[in-house]
Amino acid sequence: MRRRFDTATVVVAVPFLAFVGLFLFVPTIGLAIKAFTPGGSFGFSAMQRALEGTYRTAFINSLSLAVTSSLLGGVLGLLLALSLKSLTRPKWLRSTTDSWSAVAAQLGGIPLAFAFIAAIGTQGLITKLLSLVGVDIADSGFSLSEFWGLVVVYLYFQIPLMFLVMMPAVGGLKSTWGEAAAIMGSSPGRYWRSVALPLLVPSFLGGLLLLFVNSFAAYATAYVLNPGAQLVPLQIRFLLQGNVITGEQDLAYAIVLWTISLLLISLLLIAVLQRRTAKWASS
Amino acid sequence: MAKVVMSGIRKEFGSTVALSDFTLEIESGELVCLLGPSGCGKTTALRILAGFEKADAGTVTVGGEDITYVPTPKRNFGMVFQEYSLFPNMTGRANVEFALKLRKAGSAERKDTIDRLLEVTGLTEHADKYPHQMSGGQRQRVALARALASNPRVLLLDEPLSALDAKVRDSLREEIRRVQREIGVTTLFVTHDQHEALAIADRVGVMSHGRLEQIDPPRALYEQPASAFVAGFVGTVNRIPAQPDGDRWRVLNRSVPATATTAGATLAVIRPEQLAVDVDAAGTDTVREVVFLGPLTRLIIAREGGTLIADLLTAEFGGANAGDRVRVRLRDDVDDLVLIEG
Amino acid sequence: MGIVVKILRTIFLVLLGLFFFVPLLAMARFAFQSVPVVLLTPEKLLEGWSLAGLFEVFGNPEFQRATLISLQLMVLAILITLVLLLPVAALVEIRAPQLRTAMTAITLLPWVVPPVALVVGVAATFRSTVPWFLASPYSLVPFYVLWALPFSYRALDAGLRSIGARTLYEAARVMGASTFTIIVRVIIPNMIGAIIAASVLTAALVLGEFAFAALLLKETLPTFMAEFQRSEPRAGMALALSVMLLTALIIWIGVRALRKRGMDLQAAGV
Repeated sequence: MRRRFDTATVVVAVPFLAFVGLFLFVPTIGLAIKAFTPGGSFGFSAMQRALEGTYRTAFINSLSLAVTSSLLGGVLGLLLALSLKSLTRPKWLRSTTDSWSAVAAQLGGIPLAFAFIAAIGTQGLITKLLSLVGVDIADSGFSLSEFWGLVVVYLYFQIPLMFLVMMPAVGGLKSTWGEAAAIMGSSPGRYWRSVALPLLVPSFLGGLLLLFVNSFAAYATAYVLNPGAQLVPLQIRFLLQGNVITGEQDLAYAIVLWTISLLLISLLLIAVLQRRTAKWASS
Repeated sequence: MAKVVMSGIRKEFGSTVALSDFTLEIESGELVCLLGPSGCGKTTALRILAGFEKADAGTVTVGGEDITYVPTPKRNFGMVFQEYSLFPNMTGRANVEFALKLRKAGSAERKDTIDRLLEVTGLTEHADKYPHQMSGGQRQRVALARALASNPRVLLLDEPLSALDAKVRDSLREEIRRVQREIGVTTLFVTHDQHEALAIADRVGVMSHGRLEQIDPPRALYEQPASAFVAGFVGTVNRIPAQPDGDRWRVLNRSVPATATTAGATLAVIRPEQLAVDVDAAGTDTVREVVFLGPLTRLIIAREGGTLIADLLTAEFGGANAGDRVRVRLRDDVDDLVLIEG
Repeated sequence: MGIVVKILRTIFLVLLGLFFFVPLLAMARFAFQSVPVVLLTPEKLLEGWSLAGLFEVFGNPEFQRATLISLQLMVLAILITLVLLLPVAALVEIRAPQLRTAMTAITLLPWVVPPVALVVGVAATFRSTVPWFLASPYSLVPFYVLWALPFSYRALDAGLRSIGARTLYEAARVMGASTFTIIVRVIIPNMIGAIIAASVLTAALVLGEFAFAALLLKETLPTFMAEFQRSEPRAGMALALSVMLLTALIIWIGVRALRKRGMDLQAAGV
């Protein structure tokens, strides 16, 4: 039996691993070290400060924003995938949605934020339309720069992202399963409850994770809509590129390390949940 | 148990006519096979019976009750699909139990029924595996058990053996037959494999282009095909020109009474086992190939006007080789022929 | 499927469609119509539309510079992604399928590190050793490649799996081909669909990416747009809309190319 790692494997894998190592692992480890050595000496002060006061608030805000937009986006994205699975007419709908989702999922914050400002910002088109009908958005407390405003804008890329993740799984639901259930006397609801949804859960969890990570780290949209907001990515940037005060940079590294830890833990959590809910799956 | 009557069924998909004036009766407890090439409408007929498709015209009756508009879940049928019958997120046992839970069976009754079914289909040791852990044959047996669990009025099988290996196919086919006879459930079996159809069915319906060409017990279908299509589709066929000879027809070396399937039919349907082959240096035909098939030996013979296929019992086979000159004749015990058009 | 469910589905799709379409509409209106929203009345609805603002932008030298850089980054990112990933993906599929889970995990890791953090980390690492690297706008390429990893790897991996790369490889080996020949003349030509998918996704990412570029203080198309928007709101909006549509067009072309080969985005593993 050949050695597990022969020359071809090494030659091919090395550039890739070197690349990832150089541009991802090394910098991250460097950051981690800096986080634990505030002011040059080993200590937890930076890590601790990163969890207090405004930084704590920022974490909570970012977490709420990420969780909310992920759950909402996740459910809506799943519903979109399910709606389009069974729809054969009009023919252009499916391919348009596929293409549009690929664009929308990657949508940088700039055009997106602009679009929403143009639509429901204070000078927005829809704002104006609604005011003609007598509905004042601003009055009801809605604002693009506040929490729910951000959630709405985030949904614009969260929903397509979930759609893209779920379509393969939804497409993999064989029609024979639904037909077999019907022949056995099952109502559609029972089929969904007992067969289809359980089958979709692992992919759904994976999608939620992707959405969560994506929105927690989202920078551009928040930057445009509310540069001063208390969100983790914005804070990190402020600490690192605003007026540089020694000590503050270490703080930024600490926040980064906490963020990475949080995201890694979510990753592990979801992986465990996926394993649990997919007992029946083949590897 | 129930008698199935599908009457005057018509089904179009866009501009394609899948079924035109399709009529089929399945007696209670009978196993009828629908046989035909892909696109002939056999699967459409099954799906209309199951309720997955709605006929454009015609009625479906089961046990005297008109079920044309009855939704699928209320028909109380059982069905086995070609593939992916079982729910992947449930064990074999859970799959079967699902059928029983839907019919509101109590837990004790469920347990008894499941155990009995698993025993009948020989699956007791595989019951707690997930579908992906089972072989194709095991999956289809569990699917069969599940289909029978709720004591259905009609059992539907949509090419259940097509995705299986050859050996598994044969044994599972026998098992389906055995179980079906034991339980006595009215059954519709769809397949494109004529060996399967002939081996398993009480009657076989041969379909082509949305129409039922002939429905008869297997032997009648084989020996008295009603059309050129059926003759060619079921079993191997030699088409030999026949000359009228009084009230008989002359084929090769003999004259025999014949039935024409249509006016002007002059090609005789001769099955391979109806030919006799004599090695004769003066013969005008040549052996092209000798194929050993176990109990039979098949000779492929070139002659003027085409190729003939003759099956001889290996035990009686004299031993011709490729290249030998032979004389082909009609066996003496052939006393009846079918004529088809060219 | 019940009629109630069908109606609900239609309503849902229409609402969602509005949600995605209306902001674009609003953007277009703002960009191309010179009537301020406050003064907008039904009579004035068709007044003041012009594409002039957009064309002005095209003539802006900064815009042209930024676009050129973005396009170059896009090409480089695609090339490097393919050069780095294709061999590895092929290797995993053909010789080392046990590494697949590890690879999927590795490619997901870049998303765990926020762009901000990554930029800082890389800057800190390189500032002391090769400062010139960060000064060049091309320093963005590694970030883009990393950031696109989850999608590009998935697309390539799915492509390899769907063509049965291992069987192709073994068949070609029996015929006497070298590994290099196989990859270049057998595997890659059969993977064009997946390669297109990976490239198209990377392209969309580069054209829309703001965070890395802004943090490294580079002038790419997105950063130019953000800056430009401040001074020329309407023209900036027009530009943003055009870029979005251009990106959509690129992806649509990619999807069409996939369809011609009988695949869709699902087959490409997106």
